[in-house]
Amino acid sequence: MACLSTSGRVVCGSRRQQTHKLLYQLFGSRPGLTNPSPSTGFNPPKVQQQAMRLFHGLSFSMGKDYPDLLQSSHKCSHNLEYSQCSTTNKRQHSSVHTQQPAGPVREFQIDPYIILDDDLKYFYDDVRYLLKSGTSQPELDTIASYYFDGQGKALRPMVTMLMAKAINYHLNNESHQLVHKQRQIALFSEMVHSASLVHDDVIDQSDFRRGKPSVNALWNHKKVTMAGDYILSIASIMIARLRSDDVTIVLSQILTDLVQGEFMQLGSRETENERFAHYLTKTYRKTASLIANALKATAVIAQADDNVAEVAFQYGRNIGLAFQLVDDMLDFVSSTEQMGKPTAADLKLGLATAPVLFACEKYPELNPMVMRRFSEPGDVERAFELVHKSHGLEQTRFLAKKHCNEAIRLAQELTESPYQKGLQVVADLVINRMK
Amino acid sequence: MYRASGLRIMQQLRRRIPSEMQGFQNFKVAPALQTFTFQQQQHQQDRWTATSTASGKHSSPQVATPPPRHDWNRAVSEAERIVGYPTSFLSLRWLLSDEIANVALHLRKLVGSAHPLMKTAKHLLYNGKNTMQAWGLIVLLVSKAAGHAPSVPDVEQDKSAGVLHSQRALAEVTEMIRISHLVHNSVVNLQSSTQAGQDVATYDDMSFGNKIGLLTGDYLLGHSSAELANLRNQEVVELISSAVRDFSESEFIGERDEQNNPLPYKPGTFQRPSLSVGVDFNEHDVMTPMPIAQVLGNPEEEWECRNILNAGSLLGKSCQASLKLAGQSEELQRHAYRFGKHLALAWQACLDAEPFQCPQLPLDVTFSLVSAPVLFHLEHDPGMYAQLEAGKQSVDNIDYDKIHKAILAGPALVKTKELQRKHTAAALAVLQHFPATDARQALENIILAMQDL
Repeated sequence: MACLSTSGRVVCGSRRQQTHKLLYQLFGSRPGLTNPSPSTGFNPPKVQQQAMRLFHGLSFSMGKDYPDLLQSSHKCSHNLEYSQCSTTNKRQHSSVHTQQPAGPVREFQIDPYIILDDDLKYFYDDVRYLLKSGTSQPELDTIASYYFDGQGKALRPMVTMLMAKAINYHLNNESHQLVHKQRQIALFSEMVHSASLVHDDVIDQSDFRRGKPSVNALWNHKKVTMAGDYILSIASIMIARLRSDDVTIVLSQILTDLVQGEFMQLGSRETENERFAHYLTKTYRKTASLIANALKATAVIAQADDNVAEVAFQYGRNIGLAFQLVDDMLDFVSSTEQMGKPTAADLKLGLATAPVLFACEKYPELNPMVMRRFSEPGDVERAFELVHKSHGLEQTRFLAKKHCNEAIRLAQELTESPYQKGLQVVADLVINRMK
Repeated sequence: MYRASGLRIMQQLRRRIPSEMQGFQNFKVAPALQTFTFQQQQHQQDRWTATSTASGKHSSPQVATPPPRHDWNRAVSEAERIVGYPTSFLSLRWLLSDEIANVALHLRKLVGSAHPLMKTAKHLLYNGKNTMQAWGLIVLLVSKAAGHAPSVPDVEQDKSAGVLHSQRALAEVTEMIRISHLVHNSVVNLQSSTQAGQDVATYDDMSFGNKIGLLTGDYLLGHSSAELANLRNQEVVELISSAVRDFSESEFIGERDEQNNPLPYKPGTFQRPSLSVGVDFNEHDVMTPMPIAQVLGNPEEEWECRNILNAGSLLGKSCQASLKLAGQSEELQRHAYRFGKHLALAWQACLDAEPFQCPQLPLDVTFSLVSAPVLFHLEHDPGMYAQLEAGKQSVDNIDYDKIHKAILAGPALVKTKELQRKHTAAALAVLQHFPATDARQALENIILAMQDL
């Protein structure tokens, strides 16, 4: 479903240059000004490539129709421009694919994707390997691994690993074995997410996702359905092999929440008063539960106490809610090109998201449209217009911001470490992302 | 297709019952289903009386020396009594959940549309118990037959039924997973050319049906995984998850028409393996898929592989997992797996043979093109493949009457019956490893009753 999609193309742990290790310093480095040390043995062109690849993530344009909402329209869409961009002050603070945060400048300059490079580098290769090893049917393998092409943001695995490492640091237990297990949880989160995308594609009949044809446009819908089940089953086998009863229980909650969220999306019986609560619960179940419970699972497997597990869970819940709120907002402001999927997609699917619900307060004429799920001709266009006329987008952003601040506050309860700071940076990434 | 044949088997059975059991007034009906199927049964009862008197007149010479029959319904309802209350998925808990209430609401919109989901729902509601969909019952019987290790604490036992609470939960999961597969299989492929010419209303119906079907299946899978997690046994989770994998894999084997109905391999496509060694899962690693490539082209082995993935895997692995929960030995677990597998295969062979029991294929009845009789006949007469090629776009384009006739004239049916007997015998043989109990006896009765269908 549109809400769940983390479309767009963002850099994360490398897939293209899998053989290289990043050379940047983990902490306090300025990735843009990479100066490959000659002693590493890598030849400079490759390193340069690496750096450019990293900066490719910067190439986005602002939502032009909404400049006041999103400050600092900083365009940097060419590799050629990259040197200019990278020398600007902003570049140093913001990490890849983020804007300068609206609030006070963060004192640390951490790119979560870089400090997690070791964990994320072969991430998608590992998923594909896992999926391949579970079947003898090439077509099943092809469909199941279609969305594991490394073109996604890998937000879920990134946050999961950050939290895992922040907790490990907090508990002073950084054994490789533990990190490996936590990485399996990160794999699970991404696999479940993809399985839900695959099934959503069949449900929504959308033709594009992440800028390429969606699975349902390419393959038999029955087979696509089965491929979704397949991804789930492989992910479950993997988690069962961690041999932790509690982790399995925490993670199984994700699946029930996801489906319940989908069912909530089907219904539109609720009254105007209940609508927003319904929307938030739905958003929690469809998006935030996955992140929150995956993060909680990393705490559980590290044998953290209940308080730490709760911090992890609440951090994930807030980040997840903020992420989805921003996603719903971007559905109104981004261009099709940026999102890799058509805009106003939610309206077209008959879904009233936060911007619309906020706009209802100013323009009650939206209410009947919400009730009929924007089904009459002209509804979608009219609602789109009214949302832009109202303060719905600012209000949505404000709410997302509140959740991000709460997430930052929660992260600060953990012992200070690069990863703990990374968690705070993620909150900025989420609120300032453009796609 | 399989469902349709199951229904007909039951109708046949019902026809038989009154004539054989005239004195047997206390004919038992599965209690949980009573309310749901009462009207249906009334309706069918009327039909039995009509058909049984009619067939009584015509076929009286044949019935003159009836072989000793094992009664299916009695076997099943006795078995249910042995393990306590029935385990059908229609448990109240299930029906009362918000999501299912939601689904029921939405399903009403689909009534009258041609979406296959309606058919699936109908068969689940009206034939859930009687057509062996009650796999949970088998799992419970095997559990009871095996008993549990003395180390299992009392609180975890359901003393009156002789099974563990966890085993009962597992039986429920087994049924949920099975149904979720059936429901997901009712999704319609909307990208195919056969759907292209349809009007918008039909397309919308189909699209909506897909949505409901997909979500319902996902709901069942999600809840299965939550229930499994609560069993707190990761080996069991692993095993059952691999059965879900097998289900999805089974839908990818071989050629398919646009609605993903399977077509057999072209005869001669594969080198027949010189040794026909049975293929099964790697016992030590559930992640390893079934090495199906080794048996392609051998009708019996290929059939076996397809149906292990499609049915035997879940039943077998559930039986095995149930014994794991009871702390039974690895060896007994293996026997349980084999029992479940052979039982599922025997049942499948029985279903496969069913459309060929009458000389004329009844109207609106078709059969799977990878069912045992078709595969055996292709081996006997590879020329028939030319007729099957008409089904490459849609299996509906095939002249089923013609193939039906050809198969009846060949040796395939006899071979199918042999196949069924082989797996029945194997299942009965495995049962001997279990102590003689009422549960084991109930399982034997079910198998024997099935053999006579």
